[in-house]
Amino acid sequence: MGIITTDNLVFEYIRRDENGDRIGEKRAVDGVSLNVEKGQFIAVLGHNGSGKSTMAKHLNALLTPTGGTVLVCGMDTRDEDHLWDIRKSAGMVFQNPDNQIIATVVEDDVAFGPENLGVPAEEIEKRVTESLRAVGMLDRKNDSPNHLSGGQKQRIAVAGIMAMKPECIIMDEPTAMLDPIGRKEVLETVHRLNKEEGITVIHITHYMSEVTDADAVIVMDHGKVAMQGTPREIFSRLPELQELGLDAPQATILASELRGRGIPLPEGILSISEFLDAYRALPAAYQAEDPYKSIPEHIEESVTALAEDEAPLLELEHVCFTYSPQTAYEKKAVQDVSLQIRQGEFVCLIGHTGSGKSTLIQMLNGLEKPTSGRVLFRGEDIHERKYDRRALRSKVGLVFQYPEHQLFESTVLRDVCFGPKNQGLSEEEQRARAEGALKLVGIAEENWNDSPLELSGGQKRRVAIAGVLAMHPEVLILDEPTAGLDPQGRDEILSEISRIHREAGITVVLVSHSMEDVAKYANWVHVMDSGKLLYAGKPAVVFSHIERLKKVGLGVPQVTEIMRGLYPQEKRPAMDFITVEDAVSALCPKR
Amino acid sequence: MLRDITIGQYYPAPSLIHRLDPRVKIVGTLVYIVSLFLFDSFWGLAVAVAFFTGVLLLSKVPFHYILKGLKPVLILIIMTVMFNFFLTPGEVLVKFWIFRITKEGLYRGGFFGSRLVLLILGSSMMTFTTTPVQMTDGLERLMKPLSWIGVPVHDVAMMMSIALRFIPILLEETDKIMKAQQARGADFESGNIFRRLKAMIPIFIPLLLSAFRRAFDLALAMEARCYRGGKGRTKMHPLKYQVRDYLAYVYLALYLTAVIILRRWI
Repeated sequence: MGIITTDNLVFEYIRRDENGDRIGEKRAVDGVSLNVEKGQFIAVLGHNGSGKSTMAKHLNALLTPTGGTVLVCGMDTRDEDHLWDIRKSAGMVFQNPDNQIIATVVEDDVAFGPENLGVPAEEIEKRVTESLRAVGMLDRKNDSPNHLSGGQKQRIAVAGIMAMKPECIIMDEPTAMLDPIGRKEVLETVHRLNKEEGITVIHITHYMSEVTDADAVIVMDHGKVAMQGTPREIFSRLPELQELGLDAPQATILASELRGRGIPLPEGILSISEFLDAYRALPAAYQAEDPYKSIPEHIEESVTALAEDEAPLLELEHVCFTYSPQTAYEKKAVQDVSLQIRQGEFVCLIGHTGSGKSTLIQMLNGLEKPTSGRVLFRGEDIHERKYDRRALRSKVGLVFQYPEHQLFESTVLRDVCFGPKNQGLSEEEQRARAEGALKLVGIAEENWNDSPLELSGGQKRRVAIAGVLAMHPEVLILDEPTAGLDPQGRDEILSEISRIHREAGITVVLVSHSMEDVAKYANWVHVMDSGKLLYAGKPAVVFSHIERLKKVGLGVPQVTEIMRGLYPQEKRPAMDFITVEDAVSALCPKR
Repeated sequence: MLRDITIGQYYPAPSLIHRLDPRVKIVGTLVYIVSLFLFDSFWGLAVAVAFFTGVLLLSKVPFHYILKGLKPVLILIIMTVMFNFFLTPGEVLVKFWIFRITKEGLYRGGFFGSRLVLLILGSSMMTFTTTPVQMTDGLERLMKPLSWIGVPVHDVAMMMSIALRFIPILLEETDKIMKAQQARGADFESGNIFRRLKAMIPIFIPLLLSAFRRAFDLALAMEARCYRGGKGRTKMHPLKYQVRDYLAYVYLALYLTAVIILRRWI
């Protein structure tokens, strides 16, 4: 018998109306049977609301089943006498890095679990040191968690579990709120613990790229197990996955596209290296000629995506920004950045966390005033004394990260009216604008009078975006609008934004960590590193600088890596292949 | 950045006072305060000043840092002095309009003013040399006897330390929400007090929701890590008295005895 087994696990929420009367049940988990063996690395996939988190909370008795049984190391989770033994054996890491750290010092936080278990002081000290070493955070043991990155905080959370000497770690979307670097460091850490310390890992995620190294993958949908198997088996059923609202790594998608065009690549390709091996093993007749040869050696390097003679809409002139100047905490967030944004562009801003992107976009609408340098909107300095900055904010709309956390009104419609109301519009006009904006982001009319809190995560976010759109901005700036959403939610939000850009003619500035998304949507990319603007260009040009991007902790789309892997270039090509479509047309010999 | 703010006013320095057990420092502060109230003459205050100066020199905290602690209560001190100046009956020295300053008034004003200043300086000494976490630990241990009569000492201490962790995070969040609402055209700066209060609603509600969300998450995370209150709980670094702490207690006892004896003479 495995270390964790569930037999026909059912969990029902009781739904109640406003008076607390029972109006029905919702089955969040519906007949799940699992068997996890000691030392396995299990990945659980599923879109938001598929029941995967609810299931996970059963595995360490945070929830007890409505029906069926859950056994952890042979103990029934319904048996109250074993409660603490179960939680000690199956530790849990949660999604939000900030909300699971209890102490103000790293080592004290790691000690929290063993302290609760009543472990003697010297033993706790030993365990804390060991656990921090295991996650590679020993040198930060006396730091405040507030000074750590998201990835580091999650590693502290893992160390906190390790200090309880568990058999198994359950991770409930631990990477959903992290940037790519943080995701990688957390994943590498748990894979190492799995291999070296033999810890069983159950990793819940909606990032497909994180499951390729798992021993087994379970895909959940509507509270049921929809698919189960090795990563290869799962990934070879690509259409099914996409139907379940999940995506696959670009290597898998590209292989499947090529197979559809008659190139005999094997099914279930998981990674870039597997793709490269499989493609190289193809008979010569199927292999394409070096497509880089058809790229001209020099392409005209323009300075903007659109015509240069047009006056810029927004302009930064040698802008610097320093937090807490002349104190011990002085931090130069932005240093001497000059850039121009023209009407109708879709601009992406990339750079790792802390490179100054968020500060930069707050200067674009005058929320932050540069320490030096000028910000111009339609040629006017927005920090001139007479300039109306409040009016500017409705012309340059800014959507913050996790914008749904700012919703406050009792209904969706009223919340979206907040912006137009502040603009001093009449009630009819407010309403008309709000309705228009809600339609634009695709919120159905039947939800307009709901409380924003009742909506799903993706819907809430769209309401928040509508709140900015209702002010009829000329520029829409979005700070990572897809953070924390599942693949389907991500795609939906981005295609809405792209449609708004096309149809409403709004200039878009998008901050993103996903190079694949940038490649797909941007027509101009700015690369930031340590507060400076590194370089800019069309996406196909920007992503041809692979080495340069990697040096500053960024990457390129998987397809670009694949293309370069297949056709190594001595010199950097003037442009690169950056989308699956690009690669498909390059690799399919024309007949 | 808001995350960098420190709660309280801890001044890190490698001093004997910093290393003392927080319990000693709490008791010491109490003894010092009691001594201030036992005396009713300037000579008596001089004894307290001597004690304070000794601690100050040992602590290596620059004096101007400690003086800054007086700023927020400056008005209170001035009021105390003024009331005593003008409202004490006795031998009139100066008289103008309806005010008169008496000899006794000058004396009392000076005395109460000095006592108040010494009181504040002494207690800020404690916060300069003790981190909030140590203070919470010390209080929890000192108050432990109260738990026998049903006071939830451990729970209060746990709440205090969680508050210490989340205050900077919530401050940062407030800043973010304010900016986000400003980006939607909110105006917090103009209008009368009622309009401004009303303008706070779009900040206050999201903040409250976020605090509840975090509280819920944190409670779950604590439960998952086997937290079940103070019972049976151990500590990685339990407070343990060192020789220096016992010596400090001896000094405190000597000081208190000296004060009580001296009180008869001065």
